[in-house]
Amino acid sequence: MRGVNEMSAVRLGKGDVAGFLEGLLADWTVVAPVMHDGIVSFRAITSGTEADLDYSNSAQSPKGVVLPQVETLLSCPCSSPEGEDVVEHTPEPGRVVLFGVRPCDARGIGFLDRVFGEGANGDNYYASRRESLLVVSLGCSHPLATCFCTTTGGGPFSTEGSDLIMAEHGDEYIVFAVTENGATFLSRHGLSKAAESAVQAVLSAAETSVAEMQPRVGLSILKGSLDGSFDAAAWNTLTEKCVGCGVCTYVCPTCHCFDIVDEVSGGSRVRNRIWDSCQFPCFTRQASGFDPRPTYRERYRQRFMHKFSFCTDRYGTPGCVGCGRCVTECPVNLDIRRIMAFFSEKRGEE
Amino acid sequence: MNAQAPGGMENRSVEWEPRIIAFLCNWCSYAGADLAGVGRLQYPSNVRIIRVPCSGRISPFFILSAFQKGADGVIVSGCHPGDCHYISGNYSARRKFALLKGLLDHIGIEEGRLHFTWISASEGGRFADVMGSVTETVRALGPVRQMVGPGVRT
Amino acid sequence: MSRTGLTERIREEAARLLADGTVDVVIGFEQGSLPLRATPCFARDAADAGRLVWNAFCGNNLSRYIRRFDKRVGIVVKGCDTRSIVELIKENQVQRDNLVIIGVPCDGMVDEGILQGLCKGREILSVEEGDGVLVVTDAGRTMRIPRDECLHQGCRVCTQRNPVIHDILAGEPVQEQPGDTYRDVAGFAAAPPDARWARITGEMDRCIRCYACRDACPLCYCANCFVDATMPQWVGKSVGGSDTLSFHLMRSLHLAGRCVECGACERACPMGVDIRTLHRKVSSDVAGLFGYKPGMSLSEPAPLSRFEPDDPEDFMTGGSPCAE
Repeated sequence: MRGVNEMSAVRLGKGDVAGFLEGLLADWTVVAPVMHDGIVSFRAITSGTEADLDYSNSAQSPKGVVLPQVETLLSCPCSSPEGEDVVEHTPEPGRVVLFGVRPCDARGIGFLDRVFGEGANGDNYYASRRESLLVVSLGCSHPLATCFCTTTGGGPFSTEGSDLIMAEHGDEYIVFAVTENGATFLSRHGLSKAAESAVQAVLSAAETSVAEMQPRVGLSILKGSLDGSFDAAAWNTLTEKCVGCGVCTYVCPTCHCFDIVDEVSGGSRVRNRIWDSCQFPCFTRQASGFDPRPTYRERYRQRFMHKFSFCTDRYGTPGCVGCGRCVTECPVNLDIRRIMAFFSEKRGEE
Repeated sequence: MNAQAPGGMENRSVEWEPRIIAFLCNWCSYAGADLAGVGRLQYPSNVRIIRVPCSGRISPFFILSAFQKGADGVIVSGCHPGDCHYISGNYSARRKFALLKGLLDHIGIEEGRLHFTWISASEGGRFADVMGSVTETVRALGPVRQMVGPGVRT
Repeated sequence: MSRTGLTERIREEAARLLADGTVDVVIGFEQGSLPLRATPCFARDAADAGRLVWNAFCGNNLSRYIRRFDKRVGIVVKGCDTRSIVELIKENQVQRDNLVIIGVPCDGMVDEGILQGLCKGREILSVEEGDGVLVVTDAGRTMRIPRDECLHQGCRVCTQRNPVIHDILAGEPVQEQPGDTYRDVAGFAAAPPDARWARITGEMDRCIRCYACRDACPLCYCANCFVDATMPQWVGKSVGGSDTLSFHLMRSLHLAGRCVECGACERACPMGVDIRTLHRKVSSDVAGLFGYKPGMSLSEPAPLSRFEPDDPEDFMTGGSPCAE
């Protein structure tokens, strides 16, 4: 676990989690994994017992905490003259703790920070949600067969994007501070110090678990191969089964494309920012009717190349954290790992 | 339906009046409404008429959109069976309406919100009667709560 | 016939059709990348044909793909899939002459959600199909589960397990199940309206508007879906409100008299939204009011393209026409 403060690690008994969260609810909005109708999702809890940390991963990534699927940017009453009484809806989320996310999803938020949070293009709406957010991740003692976080530069105990990281140890969690904010948070909540033996045990277990997940492909090999493969005929057959839905993009922790729509709703004219997907026919269709990405082939290629080539060029990191959601949720089992393997191997052949 | 129409609940005062959208076919029902007017028959001012060429022109979209934008009730009226200006528009429409009505009832939308009827060009009296009874039915249900658009999202 | 028998038969037929040039491609299934998944396969030569499989997880409705080809296409299909092909032919979306239909009598497809529920969150490592049982191995243990207990909801009330139309029948026809009585529809309707509304809106709240239901559906082929239209915009883009419900209501009405209840939409949904309740109601009304069951005949006209003078109208206000 890179960058954690071993000395200040504390323990949180599994049986004490509900009570701990209950205590937080007075001052914090707590977003945690909740099991509902057989589906795990991240939502704001109203009682500590709602959180269910015994989960593999949520159906949808928790990116909605910083990038809601629908977010009103501006509104004005229908009754006002045009251009008057416009209200800007800067979010005021208060203090929010995102509790028990998997390290891949925490990395996902770390990735979104690069897109929305930095430089001259920093996004106010994103920033005001992000600034008040504390990310407490939960290391993966049992990664799934669909997980490939180590392939994309992360790992089951990656600390990127987390303020705190928890690791399972018997009937307790050992909690490590990663950031200054995390350390401050810990110091305020009077949890007892973890036993040195427990700390060493989880650190070495974490190392073993990382070592067990060998990267499936080399990212730089993949990128090198992709950069010469934009027009490869192989895209035709690789993507043929794609039905063009938006599942992969909507469950993804790093996909962040959005559209801005004006709607009349509930007595107001509202300008909403909504998630959009590069897999949808309307995403690139131009006013003339021309569409530079007319079929599933170009659209799938766009998503894949965006993740493993364009993002690397722009942000120095791939736009994929290897959570495996698109692998499990794709209605036709179009497995992104197979495409990665194909292009990695292809380079050797040419 | 812009300035005052799609109101949130907060806009509804104690003197709430139902807003009812009436889709009327051009040839029979709209002429029936005209006849009611010419004959100076009273019918509730809650009814907002939208003229369509034929009841066969009605898409379920129109009806769902009306509810989403805040209509408390919707009534669709066409020519009596056999009298359609386009021969069979109302017959085709009737099949669609049966399915829509059945589906909305099934998911628990209040039954008195949506009405279908036939009114001919000569039935000014019937037009006024039906509009009156529909208005009273909707009034008894109170302001629409289901299917209304979402409003501002933060 | 055993499942392996079916797999071999499908491979043989596909290889033959490809070798003699009858078709350019055979759309079938191959083993997916996960234990509970078969995945669509587009076989173009004998080697590809050797990858084709048939098992309990061939749930996708492959007729979704046939509109993409203007050439001769072979397709491996279940009973429900042939029903959607019938509708596609009737709607002039595909030419019967371009299709070589390899029909597979089906005894229902397995719902991976049910298996996952039985394994209580433990990851399923492998599934093997025995005679009427599934041998499921998860991280903790191995279980033998009767196959019939794991079938999709739709497969349990399916009345057309054998292909309606086919050129090649892979395997002996299976026994059809008794007629559909729409008991589930009546059961839902028995609840008070408020409870039904709460149930439906609860389901809609989970929808993320990814349109997987639409895109997996063989009959949702509109080039421009109403939900994408902007002039006029029929449905807002929001989630968790009446816009989502409107989308699903409109979609189920648009499929009225066309939906063959293959369940592709439900299987595709990543959030487990119950879309079925809506489609089942419309199907039961189409059957009850107009006596039509989609996909059963190439000659019977679609119920919404015709009418009877005495169609039911007891749902109307003001009763029957004035006696004049």
